[in-house]
Amino acid sequence: MTTLSIGPQHLLPQLRRTAAALRARAPAWLPWFIGRLLSGVGVVLVISFIVFGATQALPSDPARMILGPEAPEHTIETLRRQLGLDRPLVLQYVDWAGQVVSGNLGRSIDSNVPVAELMAGRFANSLTLTLAVAAVAFPLALVLGIALALRRDSLFDRAVLSSVVLFKAVPGFVIGICLVMIFSTSVFNILPAASLLDPALPAWRQPQYLILPTATLALSVATYLLRLVRASMIEAMDSEYVTAARLRGVPERRIIWRHAVPNALIPAIQGVAMTFRVLFGGAVLAEVIFSYPGIGNTLNAAIEMRDLPLIQGIVLVVTVGVVAINLAADLITVLLTPRLRTATRIRARSPGLRNAASLWRTGKSWRVSV
Amino acid sequence: MRAGLAAGGGLVLGGLLPACSEGGRTTEVASGANGDEPRRGGTVRFGVIEGSQAGNLDAHKPVGSGAFRGWALYSKLWEWGLDARPKLALAEEAEVNADATEWTIRLHKDLEFHHGKTISADDVIFSLLRLTDPQLASPYAGYLYSLLRNDVKKLDERTVRIPFEKGAGLVALAECWMSWGGIVPTDYDPVNNVVGAGPYRLKSFTPGQRSVFTRFDNYFKSGQPYFDEVEILDFSDQTGRLQALQAGQIDIAPNLPFEQQAFLKADPRFEVVSSETDVWHSFDMNLEKAPFDDPRVRKAFRLIADREELVARVLQGQGRVANDLYSPSDPAFNHDIPQRRQDLAEATRLLKEAGHGNGLDVELVTSGGAGANAALVFAQQAKKAGVNVTVSKVDGSIFTGPKRNDWTFSTGGSVSRPFLLTVQQHDGPRAVGNKTHFKDPRFAELITQALGQPDLDRRRALVGEAQRIQHESGGMLIWGYSNVLDAVSKDIGGVTPDRTGFAGWRTDRIWRRSIA
Repeated sequence: MTTLSIGPQHLLPQLRRTAAALRARAPAWLPWFIGRLLSGVGVVLVISFIVFGATQALPSDPARMILGPEAPEHTIETLRRQLGLDRPLVLQYVDWAGQVVSGNLGRSIDSNVPVAELMAGRFANSLTLTLAVAAVAFPLALVLGIALALRRDSLFDRAVLSSVVLFKAVPGFVIGICLVMIFSTSVFNILPAASLLDPALPAWRQPQYLILPTATLALSVATYLLRLVRASMIEAMDSEYVTAARLRGVPERRIIWRHAVPNALIPAIQGVAMTFRVLFGGAVLAEVIFSYPGIGNTLNAAIEMRDLPLIQGIVLVVTVGVVAINLAADLITVLLTPRLRTATRIRARSPGLRNAASLWRTGKSWRVSV
Repeated sequence: MRAGLAAGGGLVLGGLLPACSEGGRTTEVASGANGDEPRRGGTVRFGVIEGSQAGNLDAHKPVGSGAFRGWALYSKLWEWGLDARPKLALAEEAEVNADATEWTIRLHKDLEFHHGKTISADDVIFSLLRLTDPQLASPYAGYLYSLLRNDVKKLDERTVRIPFEKGAGLVALAECWMSWGGIVPTDYDPVNNVVGAGPYRLKSFTPGQRSVFTRFDNYFKSGQPYFDEVEILDFSDQTGRLQALQAGQIDIAPNLPFEQQAFLKADPRFEVVSSETDVWHSFDMNLEKAPFDDPRVRKAFRLIADREELVARVLQGQGRVANDLYSPSDPAFNHDIPQRRQDLAEATRLLKEAGHGNGLDVELVTSGGAGANAALVFAQQAKKAGVNVTVSKVDGSIFTGPKRNDWTFSTGGSVSRPFLLTVQQHDGPRAVGNKTHFKDPRFAELITQALGQPDLDRRRALVGEAQRIQHESGGMLIWGYSNVLDAVSKDIGGVTPDRTGFAGWRTDRIWRRSIA
């Protein structure tokens, strides 16, 4: 009863007090995070509209592509009408967006199967492959990267770096085909050449089909990360705090593992995020060579067929995924960097990204702006 | 009613299309190369490539590899014989009246669908009306242009009468039916109730990836089919499929590209079955645009082509030279027209006469594949006659897009089909894809008459004259027919050369040798 009698004049000071309390308790990076979250939603909206328009701008249309070259014009017109393709673009987009908000992604024009059902399996496969690649490539890059940094300019360092350049220079499909020839067709016949996943089982239950695609992708991903970790570790070992620690007589092991490595890993977070972004959106390379049923091939086919509902559905999920991965990477960077964590205002949109890019290009760190 | 039909000159189809063998409930012995007997059991895996299309399961509007799956799922009143002619299947008898405006078709007794329902006249009518339903928007409905949909009549539980417009009879009903007329029950749904009477029933379908089928024990051919399970796997890359075949992950790769035959011919585990077919390749000249509005230029171009070289280089020898005509396996095909050969002197003379003595520039539009290679070879040949051919390659979606019939000079061709279907698609009076804009009144009259002429000898005369006109003044330079290659594991029997090009599609004929 008493709560009901509280009027606006009582409510206002109370609200002010709550806001002040929140400000005091909330972490400093929260406003930055909320801003990023909102801009992420904006990005998803804008991209979905651009893709919608771009698909319509492509020559030919779904009706024609589905019916094939034998269809008479009036049949094509009928299908266009049935699909609602004769309506203005904006109206079509609003209809689609309205459906999505109510949780309905529509049906594929090509196969007449609900888009959500089609995508679920393919995204699960892509995610499984992404995680498998991460599980192989990240530890490999980390261990080798740190080891190389500690043996900088040694014979071992130079030999590994040169072979890394070799893997980087050889196109991914050549690596893939070589692996198939060695393990599936020409030399040994121990692994399947095509990843013909059984759709009734989850991909991780069929590891024999994951080995070759994972190996191919991990080889090209690991080389990039390896250089990043090595450069960042070298920089950390050259830094003043390491010198200071050495002067104080801190044991070298402790310097490496307690001081240098945690700092060297921060730029690698962005590298990891990039790997996730690329693989989650479909590792077309592996999907073509190994016929792996991932999302990249599905999107490619959908574009060729002008299968609008499927294209929109996939792009929506990929965009949300990429935005989320970026946000997570930046949040982790902020939380792991004391200076950023406690800053009153974060100026850079993505504080870790430029640092990683600069490290990768020049081997020198770009000073994080606060 | 039946008496009236007979009095009106009813003919029994078996007599008028000589290829229509008795069909029906006979046991087909599909012997392999070794003369061994088919065995029951096991699984077979097909690896198919159909562009980028994921495809569907619709009996009457198949998309992409949906056509391939249709061979396992659906049976028809007529089916493709090995000689590419219609053969009675679910129908035990088909009669047509003298001007092909009324067909009477009777089903075999006790036929069953996958879900156990008996196949009746109602299902035949439902299937026919569904195929031609404007709302279904099937690209193939147009072939039955003169069907009187509202007057299709059930005579009894197994008999149906199908009428066509007066003066527009359709003797090609059998050809249409064997191509697109899967018989489905009245409660059919292409997504939720995928039921037919084909050799295998649907177990699961994952678009663009895999479809699995199990044996239908009450298939109308007794003893067939042979496998317990059939898997159809979709590939998007030729190299990927070849590797899967070599690694033993698939048993059959239908429609092998010519350049891959070398890899498999040397491998003792595989057999490459080469089928001579009517698949044809052409250069299409648009009669409404210069320079092809001049018949002398068209003739000159047809004389420029060195067909032997085109077959040797583009088809890698897997094919035959063509004489500017399609459907050579059709019983009405005119084999008396002399084969056209390269004659550069005559071509040069004709071009000079047409006012192109100082050379001629033309653009040849193509969209890749065999057509693109053929265009390059033809461009070389044309130089010798003073014609400068520029080859432009455009994306497939543009090539077959809204302007598909407006190219001046483009590559063309199509699948293995009988004459009366091909002419309806390409240059007949109602042709949908008339890229050459060929409109000859006498030709149109002959085609309309042929479509309504059930008597083969009379139809042969009509088609023969029509083909003379095509050969003399048509716009297509048809240079070759290509073979269809199917790569098959030696453990699989029953894949034999097939005029239709469907050797690797006949799921009801093939079987596994290693089954004990």
